[in-house]
Amino acid sequence: MAAKLDQGPPNYKEMLPPIILDNYGKWKYHEIPRSGVLKHVSESGAALFSVRVATPRLVSIDFIRDVCALADEFCDGFLRWTTRNNIEFLLSDEAKVNPLIETLVAKGFAVGGTGAAISNIIHTQGWVHCHTPATDASGVVKAVMDDLYEYFESMKLPAKLKMGLACCLNMCGSTHCSDIGIVGVHRTPPRIDHDKIRKGTEIPSLVASCPTGAIRPDPKNKSVVVNEEKCMYCGNCYTMSPAMEIYDARNDGIAILIGGKVSNARSAPSFSRMVIPFLPNNAPRWPEVTEAIRAILELWIANADKGERLGEWVERIGWERFFALSGLPFSDMLIDDYIFARETFRTGAAFKY
Amino acid sequence: MQKGPASPEIKAKILEYLAKVQKAKSRDVAVAIGEKKGDVDNAVKELTAEDLVEYLYITTTYICLKGKVQTPNG
Amino acid sequence: MTEKKTPLLDELEKGKWPSFVTEIKRAAVKSAASAELLQVLERSYEERRGHWKHGGIVGVRGYGGGVIGRYVDEPETYPNIAEFHTVRINQPSGFFYNTKTLRTICDLWEKHGSGLTNMHGSTGDIILLGCKTEHIQPIFDDYSEAGFDLGGSGSCLRTTNCCVGPGRCEYACYDTLEACYNITNEFMDELHRPMWPYKSKIKFSGCANDCTGAIARSDISVIGTWRDTIRIDQDAVKEYAANKFPIQSQVCDKCPTGCLTYNNETQELAVIAEDCTRCHHCINLMPKAIQAGKEKGATILVGGKSTIVQSAFMSSVVIPFMKMDVEDDFEEFKDTVRRIWEWWDENGKTRERIGETIFRLGMGKFLREAEIPIVPQQVFRPRANPYVFWAQEDLDKSGTALDGTAL
Ligand code: HEM
Ligand code: HEM
Ligand code: HEM
Ligand code: HEM
Ligand code: SF4
Ligand code: SF4
Ligand code: SF4
Ligand code: SF4
Repeated sequence: MAAKLDQGPPNYKEMLPPIILDNYGKWKYHEIPRSGVLKHVSESGAALFSVRVATPRLVSIDFIRDVCALADEFCDGFLRWTTRNNIEFLLSDEAKVNPLIETLVAKGFAVGGTGAAISNIIHTQGWVHCHTPATDASGVVKAVMDDLYEYFESMKLPAKLKMGLACCLNMCGSTHCSDIGIVGVHRTPPRIDHDKIRKGTEIPSLVASCPTGAIRPDPKNKSVVVNEEKCMYCGNCYTMSPAMEIYDARNDGIAILIGGKVSNARSAPSFSRMVIPFLPNNAPRWPEVTEAIRAILELWIANADKGERLGEWVERIGWERFFALSGLPFSDMLIDDYIFARETFRTGAAFKY
Repeated sequence: MQKGPASPEIKAKILEYLAKVQKAKSRDVAVAIGEKKGDVDNAVKELTAEDLVEYLYITTTYICLKGKVQTPNG
Repeated sequence: MTEKKTPLLDELEKGKWPSFVTEIKRAAVKSAASAELLQVLERSYEERRGHWKHGGIVGVRGYGGGVIGRYVDEPETYPNIAEFHTVRINQPSGFFYNTKTLRTICDLWEKHGSGLTNMHGSTGDIILLGCKTEHIQPIFDDYSEAGFDLGGSGSCLRTTNCCVGPGRCEYACYDTLEACYNITNEFMDELHRPMWPYKSKIKFSGCANDCTGAIARSDISVIGTWRDTIRIDQDAVKEYAANKFPIQSQVCDKCPTGCLTYNNETQELAVIAEDCTRCHHCINLMPKAIQAGKEKGATILVGGKSTIVQSAFMSSVVIPFMKMDVEDDFEEFKDTVRRIWEWWDENGKTRERIGETIFRLGMGKFLREAEIPIVPQQVFRPRANPYVFWAQEDLDKSGTALDGTAL
């Protein structure tokens, strides 16, 4: 049968369990009775229990079918995903909550991610499926979350901690406003395969693809040249033409940004700021990355007030204090020299050591 | 937002223009053939449904005559 | 496929966090393509580089997006993933599912593709990861028959997304699920037929906690709020006090505007209504005692985007308060975004997100030309320089020529 055009997404109303249809828009408050469980209570007194489990985001259809079997057994066939790639089993019967959790734990599911905890790391495709990655996505996430697992299944952090990972400067992932952002970085300009360009690349499009205007046509060679001083290693040219190899195994790696948030509570939403410009791509376990993140996390735990997000803590003590306390080296690489750099310069004579 | 059937003359002009280039943004087509962009977008919608034109996504979306641009391993 | 070893990836099956390697291996049992993906990925781990190429046309008849072309760089070595395209399926609002729907998604994907998915992509779609070009039209035909549609890719309206909203959250100031569903259906041409300088995203968050990250991740960010004053239930405040909840230190002391005072004697909370910025902190901490006001709607912010090209932008306030009523079919919102997009389509350069266009041409020009009322809530503070671009036609030009005559 030919496809119907423009019919739009499935109607969410068909996906809602009866308890939500009955109490839609009438929720009064919620509690977190234990890590991984949200209890939402309606004006009518009805209570909905959501049991949150982690997924690796990249999942097989058999995984989804396993999850469906559990939802059929415990939740009358209703469940949802969260924006951070967790699954929430939706239960209207409190008596089934503990049996579900026991079953989940027995099957090796990770239950947690609520309240003052680390939730799943938002991430991108990496070596699994993208064409310009400077690092893998799923593998780094796995290594970091294995290391920080205790903070996923408990709620003992000063506040919630949201992490994001993007595997190249395009930053498909939400790293720019995360408490901790992990970004794959290329550090060398593309290498041009002139033969490939002569064979099939439309040169004006290739020139236009570069956001910084670093690519110029080279009519004599029927190819292009790259002004290396202008290149910011974004890989857009490789998207346009496979003749512009951007990967560089010896020099690709990871930068760490911290202190972003999107919520408006207390302080305005803020961008993450770079604190480590480069760490090596030490696959398969990225030990330098997991250690660096753990060190930042533990410093925050030891020093923050209750309820204080990572960025709120750093802003309170001052970034110069953060570098002193963390022992992280500060260098010219951390001083912005891009379009909006000026707003990060200290225009005052008051600061700490 | 331009609804209703597209003008056959605009459709013909688009096909004629696309025959001369590898690919183009619909704005550039509109400028080149001297028509309103909304009318061009509406005509392109019909031309793609008729399998004469297709969209091409490389860093931004272009349009081109069906089959004109090759795939990497194709 | 013969059994090939993947020692590096096997390391990522250890540990407590769920493993994507295990998932690829499960898919590989049934799919030769997934088995080859495992081999390519092991190579990426050895060589520390990717092996994918982008480009060319892959799509379905009548649409300009929804499928992303993906090709392995050594098709002779890996024939099963020579083509390994992504299909984006538009998700239901709030990522709610019944198991029947999920099983349909799985069964169709088992028939046509690798059996690997992302639940979900960062924009919100159900991502089907890896299929051949010849399968794309049949995939769309089958999913369409089962009631699904493709999401966006390219220079179009990308798949819209929303928080769980009134489905399960007491904070929701408008119906995010219905807004997302209704407005997606309104803009089918914009979603499926890319016609703009670049992509544009809308995200719907029900309150200032902004669980979808709308302010950072969407060109048009719709964040729930209220116009009047928070409502305080003093009996519930007394209950918090009785439970020794630290109202003064955790709630009042952290109120950013200092407008919330707690009287220890009477155990009552008071708010200076006109000083509250509706940041949502106190409600988050005392949901049983503090509620949003009654006059609810949303703040519309514009311009958020990631780092490419001119740095990341956050959205900024364009309309401080707008009703988001299901009853009038979100008409005001739809009219407004149409004007905003039209202005951008007219003025934006290729690959320029709307935030960048506004930055280049000026917020004032944008607001004037998109016919959006200008109010102080749009800025933190007014300009510090005197370089106003005065509209010359509004000035009194009589007698200002050098010789004293009218111009
Ligand atoms: C104390 C303040 C907060 C409360 C009470 C709160 C409450 C909630 C609730 C009830 C949910 C579940 C909604 C759902 O299922 O989608 C949720 C999810 C979420 N919240 Fe908040 N929120 C708070 C602050 C924040 C902040 C500050 C952020 C971001 C900076 C944030 C980001 C998110 C995100 C991304 C989710 C999706 C969760 C997931 O997928 O695991 N929230 N929050
Ligand atoms: C550690 C670094 C970062 C990571 C991993 C990251 C990751 C992400 C992800 C996953 C998205 C979601 C994209 C989508 O839903 O389509 C996103 C969007 C966004 N990010 Fe980041 N981000 C990072 C850093 C930043 C920074 C530093 C900024 C700003 C200064 C920023 C600004 C944005 C904006 C504005 C969006 C919405 C963009 C759009 O839709 O185009 N991000 N980011
Ligand atoms: C010119 C710049 C960009 C190019 C060439 C590009 C290219 C791509 C490609 C090819 C994919 C498909 C990956 C795959 O499935 O294999 C992709 C995915 C995606 N991109 Fe981009 N991208 C760019 C910029 C951005 C930006 C700035 C954002 C958002 C902030 C973004 C958000 C996304 C999202 C959300 C996905 C879905 C992937 C996922 O969920 O992991 N992209 N991008
Ligand atoms: C086109 C715009 C402006 C012009 C032509 C202008 C011109 C001048 C002139 C001629 C002086 C006297 C310098 C002297 O003889 O000592 C001066 C001083 C000053 N102007 Fe402006 N000014 C402009 C804008 C501004 C703005 C926007 C500010 C503040 C935001 C400002 C702040 C000052 C201050 C503080 C002084 C005193 C400086 C000192 O004593 O060192 N001016 N300006
Ligand atoms: S962040 Fe870069 S490498 Fe990663 S999925 Fe997006 S475009 Fe691809
Ligand atoms: S990597 Fe980016 S900045 Fe460098 S030449 Fe290519 S497109 Fe231009
Ligand atoms: S954005 Fe607000 S209304 Fe929506 S789920 Fe988050 S806390 Fe609830
Ligand atoms: S919403 Fe924010 S500003 Fe308003 S009273 Fe509560 S804490 Fe204070």
